[in-house]
Amino acid sequence: MPGVDHCLQEAMTIPGAVGASIVDYTTGFPVATTGAAPNSDHEAAAAGTAEVVQAANSRSLFVSAIPHDLLEDLIITTAGGYHLLRIVQTEFDSRLVLYVWLDRVRGNLAVARRQMQRLADELVAT
Amino acid sequence: MTPTKAASLGSLLTQVAGERQTGALVVGGHPGGAVYVFEGRIIYAESPAAPGVGAMLTSSGRLAGRTWQNALDLGSSTARVGRLLVEQGHLTQGEMELCILTATYDAAYFVLCSPSAPVKFMPGAMHWLGPVVHIDAAAVDREVHRRVRLLDEILPNPRIDSAAVIPVTRAPRERVVLTAFQWELLVHADGQRTPADLALLLGRAGFATIQELRRLAAQGLIEVPEVRVTDGPGFVRLPQPRGVSVPLGRPVVEIPPALPVPVINGAEPATARNPPPNSEPPAAAGDNNAGVYRPPRLARRKPGAKLPKEMATDNPPVHQGTDEVLLKRIRTALRALR
Repeated sequence: MPGVDHCLQEAMTIPGAVGASIVDYTTGFPVATTGAAPNSDHEAAAAGTAEVVQAANSRSLFVSAIPHDLLEDLIITTAGGYHLLRIVQTEFDSRLVLYVWLDRVRGNLAVARRQMQRLADELVAT
Repeated sequence: MTPTKAASLGSLLTQVAGERQTGALVVGGHPGGAVYVFEGRIIYAESPAAPGVGAMLTSSGRLAGRTWQNALDLGSSTARVGRLLVEQGHLTQGEMELCILTATYDAAYFVLCSPSAPVKFMPGAMHWLGPVVHIDAAAVDREVHRRVRLLDEILPNPRIDSAAVIPVTRAPRERVVLTAFQWELLVHADGQRTPADLALLLGRAGFATIQELRRLAAQGLIEVPEVRVTDGPGFVRLPQPRGVSVPLGRPVVEIPPALPVPVINGAEPATARNPPPNSEPPAAAGDNNAGVYRPPRLARRKPGAKLPKEMATDNPPVHQGTDEVLLKRIRTALRALR
């Protein structure tokens, strides 16, 4: 049974992964972290992550165009890396997002996205 | 305990964690709660102002109430309810951990945010969930302070966190944009429910609830509670039991038994509750609904037995209308078939 730590370990095996965390995006709090974080500050990264997710979730019309539409992932690319955010859908009330930071050269966006989807699903799959 | 001692809530937690103790920090006051420490690391926190793991899992429909109760019955005494639910396949390890982490940080905010609350340490006390997650005490403490700041950045008014939620009757703008959660809160705010009530009712995290309420207050969509002198140091009002219209905190008006009023007030209910025996037969006989026809009750008969004479005469004989002509025609027709 994969727990939170196992999920993050798996995330670090994604090619090019530099750091990973699970963030509560209502509060911007890193529930669990592993590896590196931008500016070596997981808490600041989590706070930023939360703001990005909230902006996409509430301040835009992307996800409300169709009823029961859900935000799945957010991908931010920078010159040096990829930042992938995957919403973890739990049935109980929680607002969690799986965040993985990838190295731009070694990372593969498509592969990473597929693996994160699997990890987020396995974390809460019945 | 005195406030000076209580100010050491944070330091007591640090001390317990530093000495790698096991037990529960029980915090009094409002809302109060408890933080459970296992070998120096926090494994769970609970507060009446935040829905616990059970409420989160059952009110969302993730677990049936029966499943949860079974796990409680089976695992409470040995403190392994959390492990049981995972072993029995009701939850994944990930879900259990995430749910406990969320609930713990949520409750920790309410337990630790009021520094003047009395606190005591109960060594050896263990929570029935058992050790599923292990959180650094310092991380929890830091996070609680960060959350206090987060709320104050939205709208620095802690009274919103405890007062009954009253939506404004008219929105302050022509067009209002709400998130799904804000909509839920406004729909369920009936002017009586406190934020803690709403969190429990909706199965939402307590902190997330007050965070949204502060946003709603900042948008002018809920009434900002007035300062009330009588409120005292209470930080969060505890959920009120349903069906009680009078808040528990309010002093109950007592009527001394020797007052002259009960002669009028008390006598009537007493007769209504215990009617004298002679008043019963008229009610049972059905005199007041004489207009409705009710057939007299028949005595019990054996199956197939005839009705009593007086009843039977009312009914015409069953075979009276049998048509001889019809029978003859049928006989003729049957013969023709041969």
